[in-house]
Amino acid sequence: MPRLVIDEREIEVPEGTKVIDAAEMLGIVIPRFCYHEALGSIGACRMCAVKFLQGPFKGVQMSCMIDARDGMVVSTTDEEAVQFRKRVIELLMKNHPLDCPVCDEGGQCLLQDETVSSGHGVRLFPGPKRTYRDQYLGPYIKHEMNRCIHCYRCSRFYQEFCGYRDLGPLQIGDRMYFGRFSDGALESPFSGNLVDICPTGVYTDKTARFKLRRWDLERAPSLCNQCSLGCATVANGHYRGVMRVEARFDSEVNGYFICDAGRFGFSYSNGGEGRRERPLGPKMAGAPASGPIALAGAREALENIAAKYGPEAIGAVGSDRNSLESQCMLALVCKTRGWLGPVFFSDPVVRRKTLAAVEALDGELAVSMREIAEADFVLVAGADPLNEAPMAALALRQAARKHAPVVVIDPRSIRLPFDFEHFPASPEEIEKYLGTLLRMAVEKDVAGLGKEGEEFFRATGFENFEPPAEMARLSELLGSSKRPVILCGTDVSVETTPAFAAECARLLRISGKQAGLFYLLPGAGSFGAALLSETAEKTFGSLIEDIENGVVRALVVAESDPFHFYPDRDRLERALSKLELLVAIDYFPSETVRRASIFYPASTIFETGSTYINQEGRVQFAQPVHRGGAPIRGGQHPPRVYSGLVPGGDHLPAWKVLWQIAGMAEEIAGGHGDISPQNFIPAALPAFDGLGAERGYPVDGPRLFAAKPGFRGKGGSAGGIGGERGEDPESFDLLMVEWMFGTSEFSAWSDSLDAALCAPYMSMNSRDAARAGLRDGDRVSVELDGGTFEIEVCVSDRTAGGVLVVPRHQALDWQKMKDFPVRVSAEKIRKI
Amino acid sequence: MLPDELKLKLREVIAGAESPREKAIDVMFEIQELQGWMSDEAMVEAAELLGMTPLELEELATFYDYIYRSPVGKYVIKVCDSTVCWLEGHQRVVDYLSGRLGIPLGGTSADGLFTLLPVCCIGYCDRAPAMVINKRVFGNLTPEKIDRVLGQLAEKADFSGSE
Repeated sequence: MPRLVIDEREIEVPEGTKVIDAAEMLGIVIPRFCYHEALGSIGACRMCAVKFLQGPFKGVQMSCMIDARDGMVVSTTDEEAVQFRKRVIELLMKNHPLDCPVCDEGGQCLLQDETVSSGHGVRLFPGPKRTYRDQYLGPYIKHEMNRCIHCYRCSRFYQEFCGYRDLGPLQIGDRMYFGRFSDGALESPFSGNLVDICPTGVYTDKTARFKLRRWDLERAPSLCNQCSLGCATVANGHYRGVMRVEARFDSEVNGYFICDAGRFGFSYSNGGEGRRERPLGPKMAGAPASGPIALAGAREALENIAAKYGPEAIGAVGSDRNSLESQCMLALVCKTRGWLGPVFFSDPVVRRKTLAAVEALDGELAVSMREIAEADFVLVAGADPLNEAPMAALALRQAARKHAPVVVIDPRSIRLPFDFEHFPASPEEIEKYLGTLLRMAVEKDVAGLGKEGEEFFRATGFENFEPPAEMARLSELLGSSKRPVILCGTDVSVETTPAFAAECARLLRISGKQAGLFYLLPGAGSFGAALLSETAEKTFGSLIEDIENGVVRALVVAESDPFHFYPDRDRLERALSKLELLVAIDYFPSETVRRASIFYPASTIFETGSTYINQEGRVQFAQPVHRGGAPIRGGQHPPRVYSGLVPGGDHLPAWKVLWQIAGMAEEIAGGHGDISPQNFIPAALPAFDGLGAERGYPVDGPRLFAAKPGFRGKGGSAGGIGGERGEDPESFDLLMVEWMFGTSEFSAWSDSLDAALCAPYMSMNSRDAARAGLRDGDRVSVELDGGTFEIEVCVSDRTAGGVLVVPRHQALDWQKMKDFPVRVSAEKIRKI
Repeated sequence: MLPDELKLKLREVIAGAESPREKAIDVMFEIQELQGWMSDEAMVEAAELLGMTPLELEELATFYDYIYRSPVGKYVIKVCDSTVCWLEGHQRVVDYLSGRLGIPLGGTSADGLFTLLPVCCIGYCDRAPAMVINKRVFGNLTPEKIDRVLGQLAEKADFSGSE
């Protein structure tokens, strides 16, 4: 570990640390433009010059290009270095338009800061400034090339880090230009990071253009709750609206970046137009009501139901977008009041898969996204990283950039921004491919696996399976890898796969590898939901039966919309209309909210402190950024009513509403005053002991594991299933899948994401398509039990045989099936 | 649209390479030989043949002086503006050519015959000032020599030999 002296202070840093980073560890931020920790050094901007006084280098050098070494003495304040940096700024500013007053970057601009700090003020060069024509880069990014200082950060991020190939450096010398071949939307779903990474205002957030100044914003560390990864963000509030979301650095989770769905998918919180207007006021029987009256009304109505039919006639429904606070309150209410639930999952299989994943993760196996980026072999089983958890795809790319082979076993025609091996296996075959690859990799040293390992190894044998030729080479690479990671999804995979993947990872571990396991779960709150539903096995499907049978008479639905996920819409409508009472608590203007007998508005993640446990078991906390309420925008002013309250400010955290309407004030917090989640989170589940009063609430950062290391002996189930097809070999399995844009509730209610949507299509294998007489681009109608939907066909060799892959897209009326799994016979797909 | 014959030839050129993109410049030269310059359509088609995105090909095309992304005259006159030529009177050569052809640097004459461009060092420092016309290099330029060369060009339809 080299020791060096920077500005007369000594520091010891890890081998390979650049001098610029060593200085930062001392709190000395050397000016820089091109250098970014995630992108590495290129020494293009010459801004980070410092003077080396002693050691292997002498004189003014670029601190981003030189590794810290023993005996170095560095000065950042030496007159020669200061003058050097001042000249560099002067040259960079030669062409800068100085349009800071009308530039959205103004006030948070690295160029501004460093120009001011260098002391440069007067442009001595009398010549004209070069100017450019800007390009249209799509709905999210505004291009303003005149401001460019040619640091290359954008193109390096876009091409090298993310692997997209439509934005780059063009021209030469003084005409140097960063842009696309021609005007058009950027293809990368990570393009929003250009806003964060550009040291000046070349790329600015179009959705926030001319709306704000940095110093006017309320800012708070927040989280993205749109997928299970839980990326760190900074939320920016202003005038009671969320104005912008930025990436927040988290070394273990998302690094420096976030995806565009997370960055631009916040507008639901401000409410949209028409049917997307956020419901900010409580309602009773469709008519506006004051907050206390709605709460008292709901409480009374629920008490009546409980008195009349017993408390178990009230069903409590949550979801995977609930915060842990709301989930715990739901669980507590059910425990103390005797309500039915909590119900967090729609489908029992998904509940069991999620639970299996949560139970399989232990401190040894679980890896973070940073560790994925450092893996030397990644097996992706039944997961579509780019669509289900976009930042995971970026982490995979970092591994691939360091030459780690990535093998994807999935029925979908997966797209990832790097080269990878794809085995298009049907969901039933995933374990066969995974197990066989693993078996071939560890076969040589099976003797050293121990009894349990050998047992599991035997169970990975599959009869009648001829592995593809490619597998021999890949298994050799897996065999020689040191830090392999298995990334397993929980959406399309069959029930046993999550546990099987964990056993595979354990097998790799006992064969001497630092193997890791990384699951993708259905949503941000899935981890907590799975733990809390460990004993409460009810799912929404069976709740519907209870309603039909008259067992359940009332529903309390907290931040959940069955109309979004339930596969049979007709049946759902009939069931809900049978209810005597439907209490909805939500921030989306959902169909459930519209039908509710009593509605109470919930706070969004931006308005209340929310804990989420991400898919690797990391407990994270999003701080509220603003109080919320009716936003002031578009010339509209909230109602001018004499009142001491914030207009539209009735919303409460869902857990608080539940606490009040369940009459829990007596049980918790002694009947009066306020409660804090620290009082009730530990009471909901012993596993959450560490998240409460003793350790201090809120908790942000540590991981929580439900499992202890060791084999479970449950993975062997895989041997039995070997991709047998159903009774009718001509029929298809309908796989409903997630897309990055268009399938989540956030995307349904955020008009800011509309521009990123593309029309849904159904993927199928080319041989299947030929047999069914279909061609790429054909429009078909697909007949289901409860009706038909129409969709375009996309034919691919890389889609597994025997499956139809359809997104749960908001533009597609798909909720016409009885229940999963759904099989569609060939004659039910008709060309139109 | 690139003619099929050319496409066939380009595919052959590309097939001979270890990785297709190493032939990017050769492919663009072939297309330019035939069409004179690289139009947007030609860029898109060439990129497809090379397995590159149009942007990636554009990065190369706009980096190199000898690839034209806008139409040029039949004869592209490039006057060296590198140090030695600059010392030996490159500006006089540019002024003379501009005056004679009636076009500024970067311009193309009305008859579509000549385009005037600067170039950075063509290795003729010992015979500065120098210029290059299509693939022929001319050194020790004087107004008389320029007149002679341009006269020849105007007469000769074909101009492919070297001096």
